[in-house]
Amino acid sequence: MYAIALKMLIGDRGKYLGIIMGLSFASLLITQQSSIFTGLMTRTYGAITDLSQPDIWVMDPKVLFIDDVKPLQDTELYRVRGVPGVEWAVPLYKGLLKARLENGNFQICNVLGLDDATLIGGPPTMLEGSLSDLRRQDAIIVNDVGAQTRLARPPKEPAGKPIPLQVGDTLEINDHRAVVVGICRVSRTFQSQPVIYTTYSRATSFAPRERKLLSFVLVKAEEGEDLQTLCDRIQNRTGLAAYTAQQFKDLTYDYFMKNTGIPINFGIAVALGFLIGTAIAGQTFYNFTLENLRYFGTLKAMGATNAVLLRMIILQALVVGAIGYGMGVGGASLFGYLLGGTELSFRLTRELLLVSGGAIAVIIVFSALISIHKVMRLEPAIVFKS
Amino acid sequence: MSLSHRDPMNRNGLAVYCRGVTKSYVTGPTRVVALRGVDLEVRMGELLMLVGPSGCGKTTLISVMAGILDHDEGECLVFDQDLRGMGQRRRTRYRGSKIGFVFQAYNLLPTLTATENVSVPLLINGVARSMAQETAGRLLEQVGLKDRAQSLPAQLSGGQQQRVAIARALAHAPQLIVCDEPTSALDADTGRMVMEVLRDKALTADRALIIVTHDNRIFNFADRIARMDDGRITVIEPQVAHE
Repeated sequence: MYAIALKMLIGDRGKYLGIIMGLSFASLLITQQSSIFTGLMTRTYGAITDLSQPDIWVMDPKVLFIDDVKPLQDTELYRVRGVPGVEWAVPLYKGLLKARLENGNFQICNVLGLDDATLIGGPPTMLEGSLSDLRRQDAIIVNDVGAQTRLARPPKEPAGKPIPLQVGDTLEINDHRAVVVGICRVSRTFQSQPVIYTTYSRATSFAPRERKLLSFVLVKAEEGEDLQTLCDRIQNRTGLAAYTAQQFKDLTYDYFMKNTGIPINFGIAVALGFLIGTAIAGQTFYNFTLENLRYFGTLKAMGATNAVLLRMIILQALVVGAIGYGMGVGGASLFGYLLGGTELSFRLTRELLLVSGGAIAVIIVFSALISIHKVMRLEPAIVFKS
Repeated sequence: MSLSHRDPMNRNGLAVYCRGVTKSYVTGPTRVVALRGVDLEVRMGELLMLVGPSGCGKTTLISVMAGILDHDEGECLVFDQDLRGMGQRRRTRYRGSKIGFVFQAYNLLPTLTATENVSVPLLINGVARSMAQETAGRLLEQVGLKDRAQSLPAQLSGGQQQRVAIARALAHAPQLIVCDEPTSALDADTGRMVMEVLRDKALTADRALIIVTHDNRIFNFADRIARMDDGRITVIEPQVAHE
């Protein structure tokens, strides 16, 4: 009987494709929009992800997210270093500074100042040069996307392409000379400004004069030290906020979730995909059942029990659900793969696959239920109506 | 072939035994009485035709006899079984094993080939697919459609579709075959051919055929004709001379 159920389904090509297209569309939209959303949200804490060495981030208690820098006094670094359980603590400058380009334009850059002695917190991948080159005079390291786009030098000809910033080129950052000594690759950030690495002391000399310039203190815990206990200890002893890297990511993520329209905008797109998919697939599946009602009635008259018909409909729903889901997820993956090298933020996780699968399951259960309801209540006497 | 000389009082030889069967439907505020105390017996090995004007209760009566509808009052036994007393599931299974159907609109599943359509009742009864298809092929050969075994219903003429439907009704060797207007959608010659197939292939000593029809061109194929009017059997004409 299962083969008959499949033949009934596949034999009606128009309806079959209609149901598959509805489910594929829903699956594609839900997966693709959720993946872009996840990618975008991942970018909000990209800077934290790139700094993998420290266990704990120490900051002003009023800080709400990674880019919400509320500077500390330099002396706070020594207080943190004095907390038992801290193996090392280094300063980190993080700020938005203006770089003057060769054509006279200004570009806001995300400048990270690393501890002069250790250079802890450097970029995860160096493409040209090395991190230790930062010890050279006026040295900076620029991320590749920034070097190729916003910091690129103007083309030599009017219709030409911009010339990427290269090692050896110079910039002016806040009226200070800066020499590019390396090109690195970093995680894309939410604000998408060029990222510039330099030493802490040079970064603070680039920055406008302020009484406080220390953005964060990066802490490594002693071996065997419980991170949460150490966070609590640092907070108690210094009055500063201390978060593990994951907690700081969560804080940043929560801020963007609660204080921006991003979740609502993407939520609407995902909900629309779900609703449209439900409407198309549900309606087409129901129409398919309605048009086959006479045949379900015939099967019933010929001795097929409700349980058999139920299993037939469930099989039909499962088949279209699986194909539609696969096509949608495949389409979304292809989309992400093809646009992977662009500005598009796209992160398809296993959890998203489950969410998308769950949504499609809800759609097919809904579609199947209304059909099952109709078939279960069907009087086999329908077969005698011409 | 006449198999109509049976003792009507011997219930052992009866396929269907109805006494005082009533059935009414409620449609909105009105109550429509479809059967007003039907007395009827259908014998094993006979072809009984139920005839009468539209709305006289023919279809309701075969629905009751086939275990598709419950009657309100009276007694209706099919092979000595009171189908009304059975649970829904048991009755459906009983129908699947004992009763075959031929419908006016054929009701062949449009996406299945002739062989697959004929094998459906066997699959419902749990027969393995390969065996079901083998039986279906044999039956299609019997009704003269061996060469159309792999055709879809849409590729067959009306007469061919009805012959496939007859083969399907025979597939699980039922003891009672119920036909609803089997020739009304066919021209005279095709209708005659379908009736010949029904008489020759479907009617056996251990099986009864009940045919609901308006089509007086086929009355001569009946062993008996039960005329209905206004929910009652008005007359039973025995021993119609058929070809």
